[in-house]
Amino acid sequence: MSERKTRLTVTIDPHLAAYAERLVEAGKASSVSAVVNDALSERIERDRRIAKRWKEITSQADMARVERMIAHAEAQAAQLPVQYRFR
Amino acid sequence: MSEDGGAIPTPWIVDAGVLIAVARADTAIMTMIQELDARGRPLVIPVLAITAASLDMRTDEASELLEGLERLGNTQTASLRDAEQAVNLASVIARTRLDPWDAHVAAVADAAVCPILTLDGEKWRQHAGDLDEPLHIIEIADPG
Repeated sequence: MSERKTRLTVTIDPHLAAYAERLVEAGKASSVSAVVNDALSERIERDRRIAKRWKEITSQADMARVERMIAHAEAQAAQLPVQYRFR
Repeated sequence: MSEDGGAIPTPWIVDAGVLIAVARADTAIMTMIQELDARGRPLVIPVLAITAASLDMRTDEASELLEGLERLGNTQTASLRDAEQAVNLASVIARTRLDPWDAHVAAVADAAVCPILTLDGEKWRQHAGDLDEPLHIIEIADPG
């Protein structure tokens, strides 16, 4: 990314900090910040991939069937004692 | 009650069978869960039930579909927070003879006073009276 970096103060587990520093010492990362940046980028990519897969699957649903299933569940919930229905 | 005085729907505790269906990419179940979440129904997923689903379906795709549940807005996981909860789980296992993941579902439902969302109502009905308070069940089915 070419945009300007944002300075951020974070607290991480000691073993993760040590791992990031070892990557820098071994020449596998330019800085601890780069390691954190890469980890967050991978997290974003993973989240997007998961959201996309959920969307692909749920877009194929028979919504009439799903609505019947939800109505069936809600009808059972409506019969429960009040403390099991609302907070 | 919510801050504006409206009643908040009670969370439903999702059992391992439902999560297994998610791990197997069951279109109807995944869409139902997604729709319930979108409509404001809180769902609670005991972490041991996720373990059971992951054991049933050992693929990267299944793992990611299960992880996707955590990204829903009204859905949260229930972990074993401390020794007290771990000991309580052991007590539920001893009293119900359920598998640990099912016992975790029962323990969370019992402690939180919430119904269990399941595909197998019969299994839960057999254990509905095992604890001091009855377990309440919401069975997923298409009445046609």
